This record gives sequence, structure tokens and C-alpha cells, in this order.
Amino acid sequence: MAVNVNDMFYAYSGNEAIKEKGEYGGVVTTIMKYLLEEGIVDAVVAVEEAADLYDAKPILITDPEDVIKSAGSLHCGTLNLAKFVSKYLDGARDMKIAVTTKPCDAMTLKELMRKRKVIEENVIMIGVNCGGTMPPVPTMKMIRDVYELDPADVIKEEISKGKLIMETADGEKAISIDELEEDGMGRRENCQRCTMNIPTNADLALGNWGVIGDLAGKATFVEVCSEKGADILGKVIDAGLIETQAPIEKGVTIRSNIDNIMVKQAMAQREKDFAGTSGDILEVFAEYKEEFSRCMKCYGCREACPLCFCDDCCLEAEGPEWVPGGYTPAAPFFHLTRMVHMVDACTNCGQCSEVCPCEIPVSKVWATVNQKVRDIFGYYSGVDNEEPLPFTEFGPKSYRQY
Amino acid sequence: MVEIKYVPSICPYCGTGCGINFVVKDGKIIGVEPWKRHPVNEGKVCPKGNFGWQFINHPDRLTTPLIKENGEFREASWDEALDLVASTLKKYADTDPNKLGFYACARSPNENIYITQKLARAGCGTQNVDHCARICHGPTVAGLATTFGSGASTNGYDSIEEADFIFCIGSNNMEAHPLFGRKIIRAIKNGAKLVVADPRFTPTAKLAHEYMQFKTGTDVALMNGMIKIIIENGLQDDEFIKNRTKGYEEMKEVAMKYDLDKVAEITEADPEQIERVAIEYAQAENAAIVYSLGITEHSHGADNVMSTANLAMLTGNLGKIGGGVNPLRGQNNVQGACDMGALPSDYVGYQKVANPEITKKFSEAYQIDLPTTPGLTLVEMMNAAHAGDLKVLYIHGEDPVLSDADIKHTKEAIANLEMLIVQELFMTDTAAEADVVLPAAGWGEQEGTFTSGERRVQWLRKAQEPPEGTMLDWKIMEEIAVRMGRPRELFHYENAAEIWEEIRELAPSYYGITHERLLKPEGVHWPCLDPEDPCEPLMHKDKFAHPDGLGVFQALEHRGPVEVVDDEYPLLLTTTRILFHYHAAMTRRCETLDKEVPTGFIEINTEDAAERGILNNEIVKAYSRRGEIEIPARVTDDIKKGIVNIPMHFTECAANMLTNSDSFDPKCKMVELKACAIQVEKL
Repeated sequence: MAVNVNDMFYAYSGNEAIKEKGEYGGVVTTIMKYLLEEGIVDAVVAVEEAADLYDAKPILITDPEDVIKSAGSLHCGTLNLAKFVSKYLDGARDMKIAVTTKPCDAMTLKELMRKRKVIEENVIMIGVNCGGTMPPVPTMKMIRDVYELDPADVIKEEISKGKLIMETADGEKAISIDELEEDGMGRRENCQRCTMNIPTNADLALGNWGVIGDLAGKATFVEVCSEKGADILGKVIDAGLIETQAPIEKGVTIRSNIDNIMVKQAMAQREKDFAGTSGDILEVFAEYKEEFSRCMKCYGCREACPLCFCDDCCLEAEGPEWVPGGYTPAAPFFHLTRMVHMVDACTNCGQCSEVCPCEIPVSKVWATVNQKVRDIFGYYSGVDNEEPLPFTEFGPKSYRQY
Repeated sequence: MVEIKYVPSICPYCGTGCGINFVVKDGKIIGVEPWKRHPVNEGKVCPKGNFGWQFINHPDRLTTPLIKENGEFREASWDEALDLVASTLKKYADTDPNKLGFYACARSPNENIYITQKLARAGCGTQNVDHCARICHGPTVAGLATTFGSGASTNGYDSIEEADFIFCIGSNNMEAHPLFGRKIIRAIKNGAKLVVADPRFTPTAKLAHEYMQFKTGTDVALMNGMIKIIIENGLQDDEFIKNRTKGYEEMKEVAMKYDLDKVAEITEADPEQIERVAIEYAQAENAAIVYSLGITEHSHGADNVMSTANLAMLTGNLGKIGGGVNPLRGQNNVQGACDMGALPSDYVGYQKVANPEITKKFSEAYQIDLPTTPGLTLVEMMNAAHAGDLKVLYIHGEDPVLSDADIKHTKEAIANLEMLIVQELFMTDTAAEADVVLPAAGWGEQEGTFTSGERRVQWLRKAQEPPEGTMLDWKIMEEIAVRMGRPRELFHYENAAEIWEEIRELAPSYYGITHERLLKPEGVHWPCLDPEDPCEPLMHKDKFAHPDGLGVFQALEHRGPVEVVDDEYPLLLTTTRILFHYHAAMTRRCETLDKEVPTGFIEINTEDAAERGILNNEIVKAYSRRGEIEIPARVTDDIKKGIVNIPMHFTECAANMLTNSDSFDPKCKMVELKACAIQVEKL
């Protein structure tokens, strides 16, 4: 079947077991299994449930029969798989992989591909919609205190129609996300200002938004976003592994409306988050100086940042005298140096804030600066493919190969 | 094709008990990643958490047993080394077991520690077994057991986030227990007021609303002064005192002697500040005390600890979330090492050696007649060796040459032994002095449990095979016991979980902690008597752990450091740990941490430095009555004039060349690691 970029489908797996474990028709699982079976990729990078529903870990799958382990969604899976690919798989330099990507994973991979830290030709991105993820431990506390449920009894959590739903054997309990977030709970703070919910920067973008009618809850909405994506989807359909239907027109509108509403909410959140700051980068830094003064120099933000990729980091003590070794709080230059290295590419993935032991809102600070990059240079990191990288290139005069 | 997996584990450095995920590539640990599901740290770690794994596959790892001959090590087979150790231990076990001594390793899993004390007791028939808690939180174990009936933290670590007022004394948790420090930051964000009392303006003090600078070793006077102010203002909790405690009047009588003027003179703190802090502590709804080695590592360490207990009982700040006395335990598993009975006076679960019924129970379980006289403590063992009364010392993973007070004394004591056996990962300063070195498996290479400072028992997973040539600690000790002629079934286990079962069976406070429960990320807090009991971390809720359920006030006089400054030695030396290292053997072999802080330094006040013409980073001479070192100066206003500080990690400029091992706390045998008189000179 000829599949083209920008095509949209309702799709569901032809395999009963996958349909059962995977959500909304098990299409992601089916595609991943096919890619491994046919040898199109050497490995699949996905997320697996570890200790329980609140514990997600990356998994490198080489046996097609293991793909099923990664089926289903984990809202507490706050990982950035781009880091896993660049750091532990050497940027897919010597292997072909398919990666399940939330929008921020896809954005980050795109940035890494442009800098040749990840080899674009070797990576297939199977994108999944994301309305935000939640930090595991605070979420469990919220379930205990607000939902008055034992986190261990929750069998599934779901975000639908502005509500966060916890499902137990006894039924469902839904609370408005707005209300939860008013009280500092709910999604991670970076997710609340995320403007990318449908990963159209991946090769395929999948999700349940917009699936209505008879197939509601049983199929996935698939949007083809690249030639690579079109080729793969065509092959899977031809192999008879996935059934498709044209999407219902109203469903397409609903999907785009959901996205628009979420982007609007994120923009409002950005207004709020960035309200205390005005002017340039230095003013933003000055605004957060007090928070940065707690830094214990754990290097956690550098370790977690998927865009901090230098093999030989100039921040380590044998490096500059202006960030002297062994002194805490780390010199402001520590963060300013990191900022210059990554902020044009920052994808607001939130990893830095999540690992900060000193509760510095690092992700918010860099999102504030990155918004200025967006405003001043017109570059939307992780999404724009053709624009010059603002801190690396001046434009056509200085394009270079990495 | 490459194989990569994440294996969850627990950090092996401080007592906070953070979770991490090992990244294992083709069977080798190649990094760590956040374990965001972990209840204590939520994926956040300190520099040691991020880089402290780098020693694991270091080329310096010991992989063959070594025997010293004519002052030189030679490689030996396991058979030869084990036979030699077993025959030497047996010689004394058969004749005079009190000539044998054992140090257990507070960094090692509980199961290894339990077997170390079992080798001492069930293998050799001696009660001479101890570990480094003696010179760390030994005063906590003794002091809080005397006052509350249980020598452990009264509250879980999350509790601090609910405090309204935090009095932090002698704890620089932002460096020494950084992820507990994070909970203090969260408490402040929740509206708590933080007061930090310390001779140094530490990173923790920098977070505080009030920093109270006071003189090292004057803690009892300071807290007696606070108690007097509280009573004079009628802010004591009379109902709590009446219903839940005894000994109040005796305590009050002594404390009332501590007039503010006198206290200000002794402590050199600002009297108005002392008064304000005392009143605010007493008035707060939930007020917590946090302390660490600044309180304990004194010759009056137990008194310091009991002063904190007095304050908390006086104001009724016990048995409630947000209050309590929160000692931050040093090593990852120093709580466990105490719990496991690596103490000369206690079997596993704090069952007393001196109790004939208890000793009868263990004599039966261990198939040997055990004495009801407690054995020698760590410091006493070293002193006995020095005097020629102890002949063999078996050290499981500790490094007393570097970390005990007065290195010269320690080395002389070791030289006097017939045999020093060291079970280690690396050639430490102590291993270098050994007669036999046994290479052991380390962190990440074995299963077992750690118990953090909030009494949380957590399961460790194995992430990689130990290096070829090494053995698991408990297997080494099984082989030794068997070669000594002890029955194999007494020392044989299939795995660490089987050892845990034995611990549960013998120690009621652990009975409820089944292996299955340990597999959850939360682990389980002790005391836990029943597998069905949820075992919440808060202790002393309705009654204290003494048989009559009452807390006991202690009347305490200020004694101060044994060695005081004089014209010849005018500076008071305190010793500390820094954020980027944890002792030496492991972190100094972690490339990133070593690059960050490659060697030691002496912190000296700007005025003291100017008087001596000393510039920042200049190498200076520091000396005491015990020894002398050359060390770079760090000139700073962050330390009180008259006080100097040396981090204890660095053998080339070792703080313990200067410290004093002569006098120790009669209540817990702590030596004075945090106060001795020295002089610093320009070279």
C-alpha cells in the first residue's frame, strides 16, 4: 500500500495478544516487533515497567518476542531516551535502532542528529503523543493524600478530558488536572509548559487522540511525518500486521483541537513561569541567582542533560580556574558555561530539574532563555529542521558538517 | 550486539540511603542513572552518587590474596592464605580468645557484618568485635539508648520537611548527607525556620535563617543555657515531662546553673542569639533537632547527644512528625553494623551480652560457650594491641590507620600484633600494614541489605560479577571457620537472603522484615516485629523504648575538650568530611571526584593566617603533640578565629597525624576527633 507523508489513519494490530497488552490497538508494539523481525533495525529502545507502575526504565530489546515487555504507557516514565541513545549506544553509530519517542525525546534526538551526536540514518523514531508525565514519588503521595487510594492498588492511570484518572479494581477516580496543578501536584513543571504534544518531528506520530466512532479505544491515530515513516508503515500494512481505516473527519478535528488547547495552556504557563524575568539572558540569570547559590556542584544537571554531550567537559576541575574545583556553591560560571553550550538546543525535557538535589528550578531557567532564543532567532529547538542552529551557525555562510 | 540493563541499588557512601540505577553494559558497570522511583532521593544524588561508582572496575582492585614475608607482600593462593589465617585464629581461640579482635565494615551489607561478628563469636568465642561507629555515632547509640531506650534516630527523614523550626548543630548535611540537606531545603520552602550552630560557616549554615557560631566542644554548655532560658520563660512542656519522662528535677538543677553570661563566655556565641533561638525552638509547634559528628566526635560525645535529648523532651518534641532528635548516621550502613551486633556489648538487634539469658540463647545458636562479659571496643582493641595484650586483629574493610585518631599510635599498635588480617578491595593504608590481605567482592557485586540512618532496611542487587580472584566476604569467613574446625553448617549459606533469614530469627526487631518485603523500593523500617505490621518510621509515639516506657532526662555538666589550647599549640583543630569524598579508598579512585579535590587542605581564619603571614593555597606546616604534616592552606572567613579544620580523607596530609587518641568518653569510648590543640606555621 502506498503511504505518503502527511497521511493519517486509524490503525490497530492484527495480533490479538499485542492488542490486549498494548494500548489502543497495540500499533507501536506491532511496528517495533516487525522492525526487529525483518532485521530493519538491530535493536529497539523503549521503556519498561520496573518495580511497579511508577518505576520506568529504558530497555534495549533485540529479541522480537521481548517487544511486548514495553507495551502500555507509563505516565511516571519521565526519562529522556535521547540521552540513553547518545551516551550508552554511542549515538547509534554502529547499529540501527528504533526508538519510542515522546515529543521531547524526538526533539532532543533531532537536535543531537543535527550535531551528528546521533546518526540520523540509523534511527527510526516512533513517536507517541504526550500530554505530560508525572514525577513518581510525588505522584504516589498525591494518590495517597488526594485520591485516598493505595498507590499499589492502582492498575492504570490515564489523562483524559482535562482529568487525571486513577483506575483500581473497584473503579475509577478522576480529578481535574488544573486543580491538582494549582496545588503543586500533577504533571512535571516542565511538562506544564510544553508546546509539543504530537511528535510530528518523529517519523510516525501515534496516539489515541481523535479516534472516535466504533474504533474508539481500540485503535490508534497514526500520522505519517517523514519518508522513513511512510516506508515503514507501508511495509507493516503490506505484511498484514496492521489493519487501517481512514480517520473520521471529526476525529481529525478533535485531535487538532486537543493539541491546540494544550499548546494554549502551555503558552499561558510560560507567561506565568517567565513573568518574573524580563530583558536579556543576564537578567534571567540575575533573577535566579539566589536559587543558583545553593548549587552543590553535583554535576547532576550536566549528567542528565541530553544536550550536554562533550566527551571532555571543560567544567571538570582540571579545566578553568574560574570554576575552581572543590568549592561549593559552584561558581555562577558553572551554569553560565553550561547554558552557552546547550540553551539554543534546550528542549525543556526537564531532566536537569528532576535530578537537582538543591531544588534549583534549572529547567525553568533554561526554558526562559530558550524562549528568548525562539523569539529572537526564530528557532524552535527540536522542531525546526532547516533553520541554522543559532549558537553554532550564522546561516548559509557557515553551514558545516559534523 | 551490546547488552544494556539498569539494575537498581543503594548508594554506598553516607547514611541517607539514596537509590540509584546502575547501568550495566555487557556485564560491566559503566555508570549510574537516576532511580526516580526511590522514596528517599527521587532520582537526585550528590557528586558521590553521580561518580562514586568509578572505583568499581579500577585497575588497583586487589584480585589475589597477599602474604607479607620479610616486610614485602607476595601473592598467595586462597588455600594458603585461608589456612594461615585459620590456624592463627584457632591457636588463640583454643587458648585465649580475648587475644583476638575483629573490626566489621560499616560500608558492607548487613549480611557480611553479621557473619563478621559471627566469626568472632561463633568461630572464635570472643566478644571482641566492634566497628567504626565507635568513633562516629557510638555516642548516639549510647546517649539515645540511655535517654530514649533506643539508640537510633527518632524520626524518619521525611519528617524534617514538616518541621516548623530546625535546630541543626554539628551537622553540615549539605556536604556530609546532601540528600538529607535537600529535605532541609524543602522544609525551608515549606516555611520552616533553620538555625545552624557550628564553628564553621558551612554550606549548610549558608542556608540558615540564623547562623550561630560557637566554639568547638562547648555543646553541653550551649544546650544547658538554652534549657535554662526555656524553663525561665515557662516554655517547657509540663504535661509531656510529667507523663512521659523522669529525671527532670535533677536535670533542671544542673541546667539552672548555666547563666546566659557564663554560657556566652564558654561558647563564645552571641547571648542574645542563644536566648532568641532557645525561645523560638520552644515555641515552635514542631521543632526538630538535627545533629551529626560535630556533636558525637568528642570526649563528651554522649553528653552532647543527651543534651539534645534533654532539649527535645523538655519541649515535648518527640513522637511526632516534624520534631524529634535526628542524628545523621555516617556510613551507608553504620546503622546496620550496630544493628547486626558488631558491638562488643550487643548481639544482633541490641540483645545484651551481659544478660545471661541472652548469652545462653546465642551460645546455643552458635554452638559455643560465650562469655557474658562484653568484649573490647575498637579503641580498646587498638590500645590492647599497643600494650601487647591483643595478638591478632581481623579487619573487614575498615581503614583505621587513616581514620582513627593518632596515626602514629595506630601504626605502633599494629606493629605489635602477631598478625593483622585485612579483607579489602584496595591496598589501603591499613592493608599496607597487614600480614595477610584477602581480596573481597565489593559494592555492585553482591546481594544483601543496607540499613540507612532512618532505620530503613533496603535490598541491594548484584549488577556485575566480582573480579576474578576475589571472594564474597561471608564466603571467605565461612572458609576460615571451617578450616578452624567449626561445623560447616554453622557458617554455610546458599545466598545473602539465607543469612537475612537467620538474622530475622535471632533478632525480634527485624522479624517482620521478610525478604519479600525488602524487594519493594521502600524497603522496611525497623523496629518491625511482625510481617503484617506496616512499621512506620516514627518512634516513641506514645511511649519510649525503656521497659517503663519513660524517657530519662540526664543531668549534664559542661566538660569541654580534654586537650586545650595553650601558647605552644594555640589553635583548636576540628576534622571533617567533604562533599566530594568519603574517606579515601573508594572515592579517591573515582576519576571525577579525584579531579575535583585531588588533595587535602587546612581551613584557617583570615586573621589567624595573616598573623602567620600565610597566603591562600600556600603549603604550611601543621603540628601537634602527636605529629606533623605539610598541607595547603585554605584561608577563609568561613571558620571561627582560633579554630582550624582538616578534612580527614587524605593520607599525604592526614588530619589524624595530629589528633589525640589518649583520652576518651567513658560512656561510649569515643575518642576526641573533633578537638585537639595544634600550631600552624609558614614553611
